[in-house]
Amino acid sequence: MRIAVDSGGTFTDCVYLRDGRLAIRKVPSQPKNPAAAIAEALGQCRAERAVAGREALDLVCGTTVGTNALLERRGGRVALVTTAGFEDVLEIGRQARPKLYDFFVVKAEPLVPAARRIGAQERLAADGAEVTPLTARELRGIVRRVQRTGVEAVAVCFLFSFRNPRHEQQVAGALRAAGYLVSVSHEILPEFREFERTSTTVINAYLAPVMSRYLGETQRRAQEMWSGGRTLVRVMQSNGGIISAGRAAHEPVRTILSGPAGGVMGAQYAASLAGLAKVITFDMGGTSTDVALLGSGLGTTTESIVAGLPVAVPMLEIHTVGAGGGSLARIDQGGALRVGPESAGADPGPACYGRGEKPTVTDAHAVLGHFGGRGLLGGAFPLNTERARRQLEKFRGAFRTTEEFAEGILRVANAVMEKAIRVISVERGYDPWDYALVAFGGAGGLHACDLAGALEMRGVLLPCFPGGLSALGILRADVVKDVSRTVLLPVHSLGKARGELRARFRRLEGEGIRALAGEGFRRAQIRVERWVDVRYIGQAYELSVAAGGDFVEAFHRAHEQRYGYADRLRRVEVVNVRCRVTGEAAKPEVAKIPRAARAGRPPLAGELRCVFGGRAQATRWINREELRAGHVFAGPAVISEYSATTLVPPGWRARVDEYGQIFLAPVAKERANARR
Amino acid sequence: MRGAKQLSGKRRSGVDPTRLEIFKNLFHSVAEEMGAGLRRSAFSPNIKERRDYSCAVYDGDGEVLAMGDHMPVHLGSMPASVAAARRALALGPGEIAILNDPFAGGTHLPDVTLVMPVYLGSEKRPQFYVANRAHHADIGGALAGSMGPAREIYQEGLRIPPVKLYEGGRRNDGVLAMFLANVRTPAEREGDLSAQVAACRIGERRLREIVGRYGAAETQRYAGHLLEYSAEMMRGALAELPAGSYSAEDYLDGDGVSGKALRIAVRVRIGKRAAEVDFSGSAAQCAGNVNAVEAITISAVYYVFRCLLGEEVPATSGLLRPIRVHAPTGTIVNARPPAAVAGGNVETSQRIVDTLLRALARVAPARIPAASQGTMNNLTVGGLDPRNANAPFAYYETIAGGMGARPGLDGASAIHTHMTNSWNTPVEVLEQVYPVRVRAYRIRSGSGGAGEYRGGDGIVRELELLAPAQAGLLCDRRERGPYGLRGGKDGAPGKNAQIRSGRARALPGKCVVEGFAGDILRIETPGGGGWGRERRKKKTGA
Repeated sequence: MRIAVDSGGTFTDCVYLRDGRLAIRKVPSQPKNPAAAIAEALGQCRAERAVAGREALDLVCGTTVGTNALLERRGGRVALVTTAGFEDVLEIGRQARPKLYDFFVVKAEPLVPAARRIGAQERLAADGAEVTPLTARELRGIVRRVQRTGVEAVAVCFLFSFRNPRHEQQVAGALRAAGYLVSVSHEILPEFREFERTSTTVINAYLAPVMSRYLGETQRRAQEMWSGGRTLVRVMQSNGGIISAGRAAHEPVRTILSGPAGGVMGAQYAASLAGLAKVITFDMGGTSTDVALLGSGLGTTTESIVAGLPVAVPMLEIHTVGAGGGSLARIDQGGALRVGPESAGADPGPACYGRGEKPTVTDAHAVLGHFGGRGLLGGAFPLNTERARRQLEKFRGAFRTTEEFAEGILRVANAVMEKAIRVISVERGYDPWDYALVAFGGAGGLHACDLAGALEMRGVLLPCFPGGLSALGILRADVVKDVSRTVLLPVHSLGKARGELRARFRRLEGEGIRALAGEGFRRAQIRVERWVDVRYIGQAYELSVAAGGDFVEAFHRAHEQRYGYADRLRRVEVVNVRCRVTGEAAKPEVAKIPRAARAGRPPLAGELRCVFGGRAQATRWINREELRAGHVFAGPAVISEYSATTLVPPGWRARVDEYGQIFLAPVAKERANARR
Repeated sequence: MRGAKQLSGKRRSGVDPTRLEIFKNLFHSVAEEMGAGLRRSAFSPNIKERRDYSCAVYDGDGEVLAMGDHMPVHLGSMPASVAAARRALALGPGEIAILNDPFAGGTHLPDVTLVMPVYLGSEKRPQFYVANRAHHADIGGALAGSMGPAREIYQEGLRIPPVKLYEGGRRNDGVLAMFLANVRTPAEREGDLSAQVAACRIGERRLREIVGRYGAAETQRYAGHLLEYSAEMMRGALAELPAGSYSAEDYLDGDGVSGKALRIAVRVRIGKRAAEVDFSGSAAQCAGNVNAVEAITISAVYYVFRCLLGEEVPATSGLLRPIRVHAPTGTIVNARPPAAVAGGNVETSQRIVDTLLRALARVAPARIPAASQGTMNNLTVGGLDPRNANAPFAYYETIAGGMGARPGLDGASAIHTHMTNSWNTPVEVLEQVYPVRVRAYRIRSGSGGAGEYRGGDGIVRELELLAPAQAGLLCDRRERGPYGLRGGKDGAPGKNAQIRSGRARALPGKCVVEGFAGDILRIETPGGGGWGRERRKKKTGA
């Protein structure tokens, strides 16, 4: 039985198949021991499904263990072995400060302090030739110096090792023989730019002990809970594919965006059920919001920054902003209304949760009546609207009424999120007009229509389980192995270049296929995609295009789309070759829901008075469980369900499809949509 | 509550605080997006790796509406470029001006600026401008890299007054050919210019989208509100400072010609919600290249006062409305032709900041850091590349140093401060592209000034030439270290040396060296000043 678990900040969500239907279960997270919450959830699943004695368990985890260890600096004690003379590259970084106009700016501390950064006498030239050999004596010295630092893990990164890995291999071999957990740069990220590669390798070493412990604990507890049945634990990676627990323990840097990546995968599935090819995913939680653009496949980036440190392994291109339901609102000195990035967090939480003292986005919704009368989690979590109103009243400044202030807060929060969506769409040459917004996370549905309206998007898709979509994405994910090499090959003619790349691709593929075979996949279940990173000779940034066909022309076109010009007379070069090797998993499907006995309006749970556009209006209150395929209703409406609340503003219409997903669009836009 | 009172004042004039915040974000994202496009499509390491460029958005009168988070020295001085282009040319729709003349809207010759008007509908005059500036690694002149010692601007490279690079929607090939014929690495220059043009077009397109959505009238109204909003923020910050007159001075080591220290003097008068910054008493313009044009001085003042604002304020020209700057003509803070100016932008600008901070430390001691390295340690290397059929190459970089200690906080080490924020070139890029090898790149420990809070440490960088080459150094703070404050010790001054066959020879701060293959240049950058008297108990380096 396959079970997917997403360990979030507040809840641990668990999705699995029960009698052929997807089921969701939420238990409170235990940030100090995430494995305990997982075990609790597994126990409940097992009880509910009445699992027979020895059924095997296939557990896939989305985890924030890596991100949190980085954010809170709770990783392992690490030493770094690097080329002598360059011990400080990790600390110097790119020599720039993160904020320009702030005398008190603070630079992120390196994960390895100077005393544990060890310089090795060795040097390679830009073409990989040996300038200074690595002697046997030096090798022994390095091991001794590492031993003196009392570390549990070691990162090894030498200049130009992506050209020639021999020195790194020798050092890694000696250190592994001495019993260390070793992360080696040419294995983790065989690409140029020494700081980014060192940083990524060091992060890997830093997370390795923490991740090993977490996965070991999860494995042990799962095994216990499953009383002897075979259990297999796997982990979601930041690139949207899953890997074995063993590999994740060795390459934890690949799991940093594990949870959010699950959300993107879930949203991609929801979009495919709805027949939408182009969507922007919008995952709004309590303190932050993740957005990603899905057009022609999943976009990945190698330029992520996490906790102030660069992480250069491929991750789904997910953009995060510090605005969520718990973001605090205030009026600044110059009279502007601002929302976030400070957050009320889980403690004290928004005012309407009973303890917060300052107005938040959630409080603004409460004041405007958007939660209906029942509170959250189907009434299990009551809200104190009066308290929210008092706090807003206290801080409303010159806003005439509390409602006006509340609406202002929502508009500013929307502006922040709109900017986030622009970063991943307009700023990269994609027009939101062509896209629909997939809204999920606890607060996604409360803002989605306003955002989609402001960006003139096609509409909003509200998937099933908005509160558990990440876990669903994880449940359906394939096993993915990304492999790459820097080649720096100038393209004289397309045919010749393709010939030269063929052998390199074969080697890379072999590597990926062997890794998947090790996880039990047969060749027929394995799919391979080949990519090349191309640029004009002289540029520093590459664009990834599919390696098949005329990849040079594909590059010119991609360059034109992104930067507004292409120069077909300039020579191009292939910087990296990449393979994505995928082992396809069996994928549980969302089941269809019954059709409505008669099309048209669904039953109402009640009538609310909510403020939209400055006016209190009679608003339909709809219980999502009572929706049937074919139901159609117009805003203003509030849709309540166990894990989320969705607003349908006036002028918008909602249609329920055969899977129970809801598509929302402005009435005025429906005709234009129909023509697309 | 003061914020509330101001707000109510504004509400009467019809400003919606929500919409104000929205437009602030919109204009800023235009500038950021222009920068991303420029970086990603540029060709020279100085732009694509080091990010030595800036982008900004202006209203129809040339007032700054938003600037990307790029290079402070560019951002405060670019309005002069837009003004000069507007003065000199009637720019029609689709036309783009190019310029670098320090005496007509530029700062120093390598910084090439493009200015493009944005016309809406059938309006007769532009409603917006977009502009970007990028530091080109060579602009011709006597020395590869165009940053070397010179006595007149004519020796520093090609000087471009505002002219049309795009005219009537088409590229002016004559202007381009003239430009490319005067520089050492024309192919790279042409690529970088294409990227700059692309950035302008990205800016234009985004502004059109904004106007398409909010309407021209509303967009312009809020552009005006943004200017007034930032001015109001600045007035509020000035009102919090005790009124009075505060002066200070500091020195540049010299101009590389006479070896005589050059004084920069400032008197800051803080009034009620306004300030006046007067540089009378600064040294007369000099024979060497550390002369700053007025735009740089204004830029430095702008930078310092912007940092005094605690909040994230939109970077508009409104910030300078309450501040008057007086820089007497014919001095190193407002030089006249034909002064050489390459170093004014990079070195004098830093010293102006140091001097101004020293004066402000008397007004707001808890908010002002000790002096940071106060130089950009400019290094140029040029010659013929034997690995590439002896094609000419020109490389430029600046090297970070120590940040001054802050009240309550040590200074950061190995970081760019104040007027620059350019990145380093990765060793793995540098050695791939140029015939050089980096021998060491490390933190210069112990160079930060001692104190209750320590100044940050500088950097040691060693570069080996793999072919004969001409190297230019333009560095300051080689004689006097960056000052400490409140009893904190000065940071260590920087040092330059040339190592040949194992023997090191000290080099002056500003010089040109004819290097052989195998020569090593060692540059040690200054540490930051300390803050507060060192306490016995405190462990050093904590």
